[in-house]
Amino acid sequence: MNICFWGVRGSIGTALKNSEVELKIEEALRLGVKAGLREDSQVSAFMQELPWYVRQTAGGDTACVEITAGDERLIMDAGSGIRPLGLKLIQDSGGNPIKVAILLSHTHWDHICGIPFFVPGFNPRNTITVYGAHSNLEERLRDQQDSRFFPVPLPSTFKVVQLSGNDHFTVGDVEIETIPLKHPGDSFGYRLTHNGKTVVYATDSEYKDLSTEALKPFVDFFQSADLVIYDAQYTMVENVEKENWGHSNMFTGIDMAIEAGVKRMVFTHHDPVCDDKRLGDFFQKAEEYLRMYAPSGGPLIYLAYEGLGFTL
Amino acid sequence: MKITENVQNNVSRIFLDGRFDANTCGEVEQFIRKRIDDGMHYFVLDMENVSFIASAGLRVVLVIAKELRNTSRGDLCIASPQPNVRKVFEISGIDNVLQIHEDVERAAKGFLQ
Ligand SMILES: [Zn+2]
Ligand SMILES: [Zn+2]
Repeated sequence: MNICFWGVRGSIGTALKNSEVELKIEEALRLGVKAGLREDSQVSAFMQELPWYVRQTAGGDTACVEITAGDERLIMDAGSGIRPLGLKLIQDSGGNPIKVAILLSHTHWDHICGIPFFVPGFNPRNTITVYGAHSNLEERLRDQQDSRFFPVPLPSTFKVVQLSGNDHFTVGDVEIETIPLKHPGDSFGYRLTHNGKTVVYATDSEYKDLSTEALKPFVDFFQSADLVIYDAQYTMVENVEKENWGHSNMFTGIDMAIEAGVKRMVFTHHDPVCDDKRLGDFFQKAEEYLRMYAPSGGPLIYLAYEGLGFTL
Repeated sequence: MKITENVQNNVSRIFLDGRFDANTCGEVEQFIRKRIDDGMHYFVLDMENVSFIASAGLRVVLVIAKELRNTSRGDLCIASPQPNVRKVFEISGIDNVLQIHEDVERAAKGFLQ
């Protein structure tokens, strides 16, 4: 299975600001001076040494993860990240019809706003199946493209499959289970298994009761997964301040991952107010927490960024 | 988790003994909630004998402090955490929103001022 992140931001698309770009350049130059850079030939190696938040950005597109499993192509959520993914699918297809399954966690804007911009949707030769457990799913997607909000209606290429929220089904030879998460207006997690490898996609969700009994259904759902994609929009403190906003944090994710024997966990759905430096800082603290609680082994953890990929 | 309490000058000093995690967070929360219902507003959580705190414990501490501050103008603070527990309060940013004191006496005195 191949996994690639196309959108990692929560709530709303968040472009990198000019002031942030300037800060990155300034910091890179300072570090270059400190490192005594003198020649062109030193630049590439120096770039690789730069801290992550200086060299790169997590990215501003909203929720979208591409999963390729054998012949199947699945797309987790259709936030703005699905727009560039659509262009890449067209490029890769060499003119042949495209077949994808889009699995929606829920229908908040940040998870569906890319559908009108998913160019493969406009070619009737393509097969696009959208799965989701929210009631009247098709109507919700049509309404997003009502003429009052968007000039083009939802193309009939999008075939909607209504799930219930506690499903067990297959897409090709990929086995898929769903679970209701904890989010205002509901959200659903997906557990995908293919060739003995398992990926769990679980955003957006707020775990308020962190007792063993309350977390058991989710820990069971994560059990022994090779990769769990986890909503960590907030810090521990923000999570309590922003009660009922429907999100989680890295520390709780780590505790659940340890409990469930998860191999890798990726933190995503980054807060729009969080710049790269802050994200990097939070992640570093999460790494410290993990080292304290799972000094020998434990899950590998990652901060999601656009282009992050895994092969399982 | 072993939980004991001693009240002086309307400050409840709660002594925790054990791991403060997903298995014990409920007991601690219930204990403090009961005392809030009894009319207590100020709490010192003594963590000298807490060997381990996970996010479940951190959350209970934050939630109770928030409620006390919002509803009864009360408060909660932490006393005598072991170095590893103090470290978790620091990396989680909780030391920015809750007072952490060297010992329970100093913590209780903090409320009286
Ligand atoms: Zn979201
Ligand atoms: Zn949402």
